[in-house]
Amino acid sequence: MMRFASAGQVALVAIVVLYLAAVYVLPSQVWMGFTINALVVAIIALSWNVTGGFGGMSSFGHAAMYGTGAYASAVLQVQYGVNAWPAFAAGIVAGALMGAFIGALSFRYGLKGSYFALVTLAFAEVLRICASAFEITGAGRGLQLRLDPGLATLQFNSDRTLTYTLLLILVALVMALTAWIKYSRFGAYLVAVRENEDAARALGIDTYRVKVVAMAISGAFGGLAGVVYLQLWLFIDSAVVFGVAISVAALIGPIVGGAGTVWGPLIGTLGLHLLGEGAKTALHNAPGLNFVLYAIVLIVALRFLPQGLMGLAGRIGAFGRKGGSDA
Amino acid sequence: MTHTINRRGLLKASGAVALTGALMSPAILRAQTAAIKVGVLEPLTGNLAYNGNQCVAGARFAAEAINAAGGIKSMGGAPIELVVVDAESRPEVAAAAVDTLVEAGVCAFTGSSASALGLASSQAAAKYDLAQVFSVGTAEAIVERGLPNVFRFTPGVEKISAVAMENLGLLNAAAGNPVKTAAIVHEDGPFGSQLSGIVEEALPQLGITVVEKIAHPTPHRDFNNIALRVKASEADILIPTNYLNEYTLMTRALQQQRVDLKAIYSVLGGAASNIKFVRENKDMAQYVIDCNHWYDPRKEQSKALAASVAAAGLDMTYDVMVAYAVIQVVADALERGASADRKAMIDALAASNFDGSIMPYGPTKFVNGDNVNSRPVNLQVRGDEIEVIFPEEYATAEPVFPRPSQG
Repeated sequence: MMRFASAGQVALVAIVVLYLAAVYVLPSQVWMGFTINALVVAIIALSWNVTGGFGGMSSFGHAAMYGTGAYASAVLQVQYGVNAWPAFAAGIVAGALMGAFIGALSFRYGLKGSYFALVTLAFAEVLRICASAFEITGAGRGLQLRLDPGLATLQFNSDRTLTYTLLLILVALVMALTAWIKYSRFGAYLVAVRENEDAARALGIDTYRVKVVAMAISGAFGGLAGVVYLQLWLFIDSAVVFGVAISVAALIGPIVGGAGTVWGPLIGTLGLHLLGEGAKTALHNAPGLNFVLYAIVLIVALRFLPQGLMGLAGRIGAFGRKGGSDA
Repeated sequence: MTHTINRRGLLKASGAVALTGALMSPAILRAQTAAIKVGVLEPLTGNLAYNGNQCVAGARFAAEAINAAGGIKSMGGAPIELVVVDAESRPEVAAAAVDTLVEAGVCAFTGSSASALGLASSQAAAKYDLAQVFSVGTAEAIVERGLPNVFRFTPGVEKISAVAMENLGLLNAAAGNPVKTAAIVHEDGPFGSQLSGIVEEALPQLGITVVEKIAHPTPHRDFNNIALRVKASEADILIPTNYLNEYTLMTRALQQQRVDLKAIYSVLGGAASNIKFVRENKDMAQYVIDCNHWYDPRKEQSKALAASVAAAGLDMTYDVMVAYAVIQVVADALERGASADRKAMIDALAASNFDGSIMPYGPTKFVNGDNVNSRPVNLQVRGDEIEVIFPEEYATAEPVFPRPSQG
């Protein structure tokens, strides 16, 4: 995973790992609660990274997969009394199917770039409206899981340390799969599609299939994030899981952290959340100013760090190979 | 006669001075008593920021009034200190913010302007045995989870819609049943969808037929088609359930399209009980009726609150009133329990029979966390004022129903 990493990147990753470990022993529970929230967003950021980072298919509507996963699981549990475990798996599958569906439809008609971005945004909006219109999804009232903590119901709200540990394992698992994709033949195909789709097709790569499969994998990760959110907070409504905010959160983490890298989405998401939380703590008497600071840092990062924090770290003490920025 | 100062005399004099000072200066004593921290978890940013900030203002006015009146007397006059945390209009942030409140040492907290936020925060607070007294949270799920730390002082959606329909029936009957058909316009989120569904089921029992039901998203800017559909339906009454901006645009479109309705009767409408709407849309607002949270305007504390809100240049909205009242409930629990311990606060709130709040409620009685003696009131815009028209014992004006023809 860390092949060709520079000293700067190793240091950056080490800081993140140390922080994640420190949360266990920090005297304040505030950091654990905040980090749990950040890790859920990190999963959807990792989801975006598969298509946006590796494949160059920048989506503005990853909430479509996130919300589909959450709603599929919630509907099964609330309306049909299905156990949380199969509902959890169904949410991931539903996210994957939604990703594949959006991909198949978009790529069949050759949508790419900003057109693809806009159509994903439209899908998320249509799903938001549908979720708020039909009885099965709570018709705008949202769906709430019955509070019943335990292993059988996949509710661990009463034990934050266990919740945090399970989330860390999930994030590590998604990152491992991301690394596997990155260094697999499929990952190479994806990068080829990103760099020059016509050339990739000329070399015999079935670019349509590659892109649809990437969307399905991304959708599965997105669905996973949505199901995790549902199991943590036990309540969803259309605005919460299909809203634009989650689509934006999905893409800014990888962009700031380093799109197309394994660690970038996690580092970017955690970094932005830490910045926001730090600003909120420092400016607690001026609500909203933390968002202003957040936005300024984001603009600066976008302007001066085209490869994100991983790219910046890659330029510090690079070894292994020039640039060393693909950790 | 000469006076000599010896050690014993000096000690006596010092003791007398100290005793006199203590008796004459209760304020100094109070200042020495540790403040009791009460949390206020509201959305100060995001799409619910207006309501959240109004709630914080209401809570501050209440804390100031309680402290000025001598603080919590059973605890040596301890003043209330508010710990305000931003829920950012996001459920997961509201839940995480509970950690901040616990570490700040609050004995209980109020909030959170929306059911989704309160559902998440109260659940997170349950593991700390930390009480949440809901300011606004109308979803019934709030009090259906069996959480002992949940206390909803204000009425939920089922009670509000039931009272609203009952009062509509009374108004209509008193006027000779001029209203026979209704159109429902609602926003398509959790709030509007749930309420409109209940109202749609209840209207036929009043002898009123629903001839049109129209959902719209939030935000929504062009209400001309909706106004034309309402006009075409020839409904006698319009029952809207949406937020302030949409409510304003909707009533403007109705006026422009000359839709002649016998009444506009909203449930938790937000706009007909919002003085900003009345101030900025005086003609359109006339005779609009709403069923909503509201205080008893005849009480002295209510009048004092209204004066404070006006002096601060704020809008007098139900958020301010409700937030003020829930701090009163918390203060009463502190007074009776004489303890800021979190578990003791839950016990004190569960046994609350407080009847000194600014709301038009009977003594507080929490059953499964829901105050069974809470109730909404009917309001009607009249001139520059929002008047209480129902129930009669709190009314400040006679209802005008149906309204005079707008043509």
